[in-house]
Amino acid sequence: MSMEEVEEAREEGSHGSMFEGGVEVRVLVVDDSPVDRRVVEGLLKRSGAMFQVIAVDSGKRAMEVLGLTEGKEAEQPTVDDPKIDIILTDYCMPEMTGYDLLKAVKEQSSQKPIPVIIMSSENEPQRISRCRAIGAEDYLLKPLQTNDVLRLRDYVRPKALSPKTGTKRKIAIEMMAENSGSERRPCLAGLAVA
Amino acid sequence: MSLMALREQLNVLVNSMFLEGLLDQQFRQLQMLQDASSPGFVAEVITLFCEDSERMLTELTKLLDQAVVDYQKVDAYVHQLKGSSSSVGAQNVKLACIQFKQFCEENNKEGCLSALNMVKHQYYSLRSKFDTMLQLEQRIQAYGSEQQN
Repeated sequence: MSMEEVEEAREEGSHGSMFEGGVEVRVLVVDDSPVDRRVVEGLLKRSGAMFQVIAVDSGKRAMEVLGLTEGKEAEQPTVDDPKIDIILTDYCMPEMTGYDLLKAVKEQSSQKPIPVIIMSSENEPQRISRCRAIGAEDYLLKPLQTNDVLRLRDYVRPKALSPKTGTKRKIAIEMMAENSGSERRPCLAGLAVA
Repeated sequence: MSLMALREQLNVLVNSMFLEGLLDQQFRQLQMLQDASSPGFVAEVITLFCEDSERMLTELTKLLDQAVVDYQKVDAYVHQLKGSSSSVGAQNVKLACIQFKQFCEENNKEGCLSALNMVKHQYYSLRSKFDTMLQLEQRIQAYGSEQQN
């Protein structure tokens, strides 16, 4: 049985969201754990009508989705119109790790490589530094929380986000984030800077 | 049994699971992700967790049954089980996996076998309660469907 799983989910404001007309952010979620893939997908979808989720179970599959194969660059219509806006990848995966995927993405000759966020259950300063050193935008501790998902928006290019977002849903989302134990989630990026 | 009684029964069950240490606050996070557009989210994640866990426990049993144990492979499976149990809030399973990893690092076969038994014990205790939880959820969902028709 193949463990591959590619999903596209579109959240279109079914809760009466105020994101009508907003541009969705296309997130490529890469994780070999089916449980973690589903939980992250649920977090992204629940955060509002902003994320279109494509989930794959390996770095190799992610490379295929990105149009990256050995020795080739991504075949994208234009630099300003990528198929994926942001990559959220687990660090520990068999064969091709999240670090390997990060390196492959950042080595593209594109002037604006896709932002890559690493997820890991291990809070290891050396690992964080390694990832940041080759261009990871952030390093998130698993299990992810609502706050982490909201931060993804910060790493997407401004034009990918529509200004036409309502305030009502945004407030509801951020209240949910406040209630989800945000005190356990310090930003780890600072550890790598020292 | 009325819908209210079913919900109460489910609440009592889930609360008892928290009190026993079977679940931690991460499970509450999952519950918060369930809504009208995704009414079966918790059930789906639990089902995925159980299937994946049993697959890994089977593999771990095979690996530790070998004369020469590949501790790297054992550690990889334990790591993944620890991760998924953490993601669903399966606290006791996660804690048992942490202990298991320590024995892996020491290449301690007896310790690993003992730890595997503990992980299995914790997992099947949790699985039994999850089964009851899913049955209650299904009955509650069925009530909701009947009322809509």
